[in-house]
Amino acid sequence: MATITRTFNNNRRSITTGLYVVAVVLALIWLLPLIGGQRPYRLVQSTITGLLVGGIYALIALGIVVINKASGVFNFAHGWMMLLGGLIFYSFFTSSAAGTVSPAAAVALSLLTMIMVITTNGWRQLMQPRSLAILVIGTAVFSGALLITGANLQFVQALLGAALGGVLTGLVVERFTIRPLIGQPLFAMVLMTLALSELLHGITQLIWGSVEIPLQVFTGVAQLGIPSPIRIDGGETLAGTIIIRTELLIAFILALLAFGGFVAFFRYTSAGLSMRATAENQKLAQSVGLRVRTILAVAWAIAALLAAVAGVLQGGATSLSLNMPLLALRAFPAVLLGGLESIGGALVGGLVIGLVQEWANLLFPGSQAGTELAPYVVLMIVLAIRPDGLFGQKRIERI
Amino acid sequence: MSANIRPSGVFDTSYAQDIALNRTRFDRLLANGLFVLLLLIPLLTLEGPFGLNILPQLWIGTIMRIAIFVIAVQGLNILVGYTGQISLGHAAFMAVGAYSSAIMARHLGMSFWLALPLSALFTGAVGLIFGLPSLRVKGFYLVMATLAAQFIIPWLLRYPLEPLTNGSRPLDVPAPTLFGLSFASTGAMYYIIIPLSVFLCLAARNITRTRVGRAFVSIRDNDLAAELLGINVFAYKLQAFFLSALYAGIAGCLMAFDTNNITLDSFLLDSSITMLAMLVIGGAGYPLGPLFGVAFVNLLTQNIIPALVVPVRDFVPRVLPFINTVNLYAALSPLLFGLALMVFLIVAPRGLAHRWEIFKIAWKIRPFSH
Repeated sequence: MATITRTFNNNRRSITTGLYVVAVVLALIWLLPLIGGQRPYRLVQSTITGLLVGGIYALIALGIVVINKASGVFNFAHGWMMLLGGLIFYSFFTSSAAGTVSPAAAVALSLLTMIMVITTNGWRQLMQPRSLAILVIGTAVFSGALLITGANLQFVQALLGAALGGVLTGLVVERFTIRPLIGQPLFAMVLMTLALSELLHGITQLIWGSVEIPLQVFTGVAQLGIPSPIRIDGGETLAGTIIIRTELLIAFILALLAFGGFVAFFRYTSAGLSMRATAENQKLAQSVGLRVRTILAVAWAIAALLAAVAGVLQGGATSLSLNMPLLALRAFPAVLLGGLESIGGALVGGLVIGLVQEWANLLFPGSQAGTELAPYVVLMIVLAIRPDGLFGQKRIERI
Repeated sequence: MSANIRPSGVFDTSYAQDIALNRTRFDRLLANGLFVLLLLIPLLTLEGPFGLNILPQLWIGTIMRIAIFVIAVQGLNILVGYTGQISLGHAAFMAVGAYSSAIMARHLGMSFWLALPLSALFTGAVGLIFGLPSLRVKGFYLVMATLAAQFIIPWLLRYPLEPLTNGSRPLDVPAPTLFGLSFASTGAMYYIIIPLSVFLCLAARNITRTRVGRAFVSIRDNDLAAELLGINVFAYKLQAFFLSALYAGIAGCLMAFDTNNITLDSFLLDSSITMLAMLVIGGAGYPLGPLFGVAFVNLLTQNIIPALVVPVRDFVPRVLPFINTVNLYAALSPLLFGLALMVFLIVAPRGLAHRWEIFKIAWKIRPFSH
């Protein structure tokens, strides 16, 4: 054992490089006939679907990257936050359409969110008259907005409800689970987010049960004259019809818009800039007068908001089900591929994982190879060849 | 860390005494007596040879399940608690042990007694493969590598190996036999599982006291310092992965032959998380940690939560009308389990075993407080 590892250690670089070359050649020999055997239109179809699916992966990956950049935690509960956001959206969407939004639920949601927002810097804030005034006004405004009845308001109300729910989740999680663990080892943090996912699993089960809900949010598209699904005739070169699911396309466009919006927030607003500064160096940020505690809370709120948006889009593209947390776990390979600190990397990584998933589904039918295996194989390859990802900073400590 | 306080008048006069696990005669008596009592339990139940009906029959199954999970979590303890490498793929290694032993028994006609060590070694080898990334990465990156193992291994068992493993459907495993005696009855496996579990716990306890175990601890505490001291960090990490997977393999094999029926659903990510939670609740890095953790989680999920379901169904909807009471157990068990884990992480991050040590020391030095 010892001699083997010593020889291995001494020739580590050349052995690993040789192994990579052999692996790549073998993979090509194995995969090229498989790709060649496919009909061209199916390859194009898989590529398009893969990119569309990848858009949502990118949005999920962005949420994970934001939390990691700000607080150095990898949020394994992101998928459950997505599901929770999507389910809150669904509840407000249906009850608002029927005009039966529960006043208690609306007031409770607004009040709790306002309390968490105000007390970010400590519970004493509740004692100050100014904060109390903000609390009362904010609660009144939000619950009023949630309770107004009107035609075609349900979409806006549901979005507001999901946003409030997302912010509330993020702030509560940060305050009660992450803040007490500052300074603890990585193991505690990892387990805490896993415990959080169990807890959120329980909460979603307790309130909504184990249901599979297709969110009918993109039905208005049909009224605009866009067919569903969109069919494109491939002509002679492709010899087939390419089918694009309209829900997926809209979810992709909205995901990219949301992605762009958040990137702009980080780049151009002072809040976003101070968040990036905090991520870079907490002590330095503190010394120039930034409130690090507030910024961490804001990062979690934003990540939970991103999760809620991704949950609504994914719920609209397919459905709200217990598969969503597994889907979010597949964004971790995307995060690693793009690089842990890189926002642009999250986009590239998400698109690549989506593509790989759909291609694997095409090449190895009948075995869920794309959804259950391919992202993790990519993950192993990234870890073996380039652990810091495509655009990540080469800061990881090697042994 | 451990309580080295002995009753007054107990001295070591030889090296053998100094390294003995049980330092005093009372300790030895207690340990052996508890072991004998544990072995006597099946004789006092209704289905035992004497039909005594003193203890409930349910205890047998519960103790066996606890003993099997103690083996698995003990393996995790070697890797996570002593070596400090986080693994999210432990349930997948259990699956490897369970399925490889089942395949050996079904297709190769091996007896349980041959399949147990062979499947354990095979699982250890698989553990080595997924331990290889620890050559280059650590911390969160290693978590991701083991997460990949947790998805890749069940996929391999479910799809490409379907002719052997029955895919998603359950797989039957024959009961072990010894000299023509079948271990098919409920309590018979007890006498395989309990001694093996006790033996493996003692083995883990002793491994951690050897040169290897001290190397593990040094890697956990500071890997760079360990490397500077001349410890071959990579080799020891691989050994930790091997041992951990070996234990998981034995646990999986025992589970397969105990229940005689395995499905992949019992080896998914949730199961890995549960085992990590057991370790943390019990106390990572303590020899008794797995026992405490498994017992606590078992008590929580099998006794406390089912007992809570009825009162919650009767009273909570009056206060919170939006509660879905259709399948309250499925909702309450992850909720309270996650909550318990959170409370332990924040309030008692070193687990029940640490509390037990504190209690023992306080008991021994009473009436003084220090």
